[in-house]
Amino acid sequence: MGFNFDFALSTIPTIIGAIGTTLLATVLSCLGASALGFTFEMIRRGGGAPGLAVRFLIDFIRSTPVLAWLYFLYFVLPFYGIRLGAMTVGILGLSLYYSGYLAEVFKAGIDAIPKGQQEAARALSVTRRDTVVFVIAPQMLRNVAAPLGNYLVSILKATPYLAILAVPEMLGRAFDIASETYRYAEPLTVAGILFLALALILAYGVRRIEQRLLAAGRR
Amino acid sequence: MLDIWLGILQGLGITLEVTAYGLVFAVPFALVFGVVQFLTTGMTRFLVTAVIEFWRSSAVVVLLFFFYYVLPVMGITLSALTVSALVLGLNTGGYASQAVRAGLQSLPAGQREAGMALGLSRPAILFLIELPQALVAMSPTFVNNLIQLVKATSLVSLVTLTDMTFRAKEIAQTDYDPVAIYSALLLAFFVVCYPIALAGRWLEARVNPERGTPRGI
Repeated sequence: MGFNFDFALSTIPTIIGAIGTTLLATVLSCLGASALGFTFEMIRRGGGAPGLAVRFLIDFIRSTPVLAWLYFLYFVLPFYGIRLGAMTVGILGLSLYYSGYLAEVFKAGIDAIPKGQQEAARALSVTRRDTVVFVIAPQMLRNVAAPLGNYLVSILKATPYLAILAVPEMLGRAFDIASETYRYAEPLTVAGILFLALALILAYGVRRIEQRLLAAGRR
Repeated sequence: MLDIWLGILQGLGITLEVTAYGLVFAVPFALVFGVVQFLTTGMTRFLVTAVIEFWRSSAVVVLLFFFYYVLPVMGITLSALTVSALVLGLNTGGYASQAVRAGLQSLPAGQREAGMALGLSRPAILFLIELPQALVAMSPTFVNNLIQLVKATSLVSLVTLTDMTFRAKEIAQTDYDPVAIYSALLLAFFVVCYPIALAGRWLEARVNPERGTPRGI
């Protein structure tokens, strides 16, 4: 049983059809991870017992595999009577896992802003909340854009894990075809090439945006 | 609870075995490809970059399935352990090679020029002056890559290797308490990976005292 190119070509439309699910999962997970990561970083900066707890949580997340988190959420939530769709659980899992990494990105982004900015805001009696929203966040966004882009590509490459939870993204579709036809080689090759192409395109886009931001910063 | 822990620990051997074999592929790949990418220009550099980018840009799960299901069709049958070590190792090696290359590039040109002024050959400059400095500066990245590799071994459960994740799934099929089982699995990985991260931070502070407070994992 050799590699059948005609069959491989015939699987392309079905697998490409799932590209929307793959990209939706990528973008929603990235947004979720950013929101959660920023919240974690703010609590960590606040210090005290909550800060210490979040510091440990971030280290814990970063020391454990994403697959274990997906299994954990997928089997543990129903145990407590929380029934969510596979896609929702998948996005929650990726958001939680990558929030640990993005908290570190936000940490570096904020640390790179001169301390004088915060001191100036305090001297003008701007509240802590307003300082974060109007002084720190806009400047931080430029610092974190590049690493955030890299994590967007990482999250794209992590979406095939969702196939394990039966989310019909590209790898999931490839496995559907494989189990119907008993041919694994062709759909998996197509899925591999499509994921590679998507990751390269996204990485290229991220690099372009990064260059533009660096050019803007140099003015 | 004790049976759960014992069950998961049975998989620790495979987890560590895949990590160790993965490093056998990762370390030479990272060093050779990182150095070659640094030294060469033109066509050679393009080809080396293409190979590195392939390993870095592919989704690991997809590659793992690809090697496990597609290679046999082409007449190459490798064991699940070999496939896992190869895919995870070369993926990790791809990332580490960029650390090696970036580390070499970040060295001031004066380092090389001083070597040339002393009459050292190009390989001697590379092995005696450039690489040692680059490797020390890149050690935090290598620790990150090692932790990534340990965590990625959880994927080998998908190609039938009986690692910790596989054992956890196995116990979950007979036991009714997924909360305890999957919490124990997360904890087991934490217990393996966190000491590596702490050792890395310690090492970073040790070899580079002037770098100030080391960043997270």
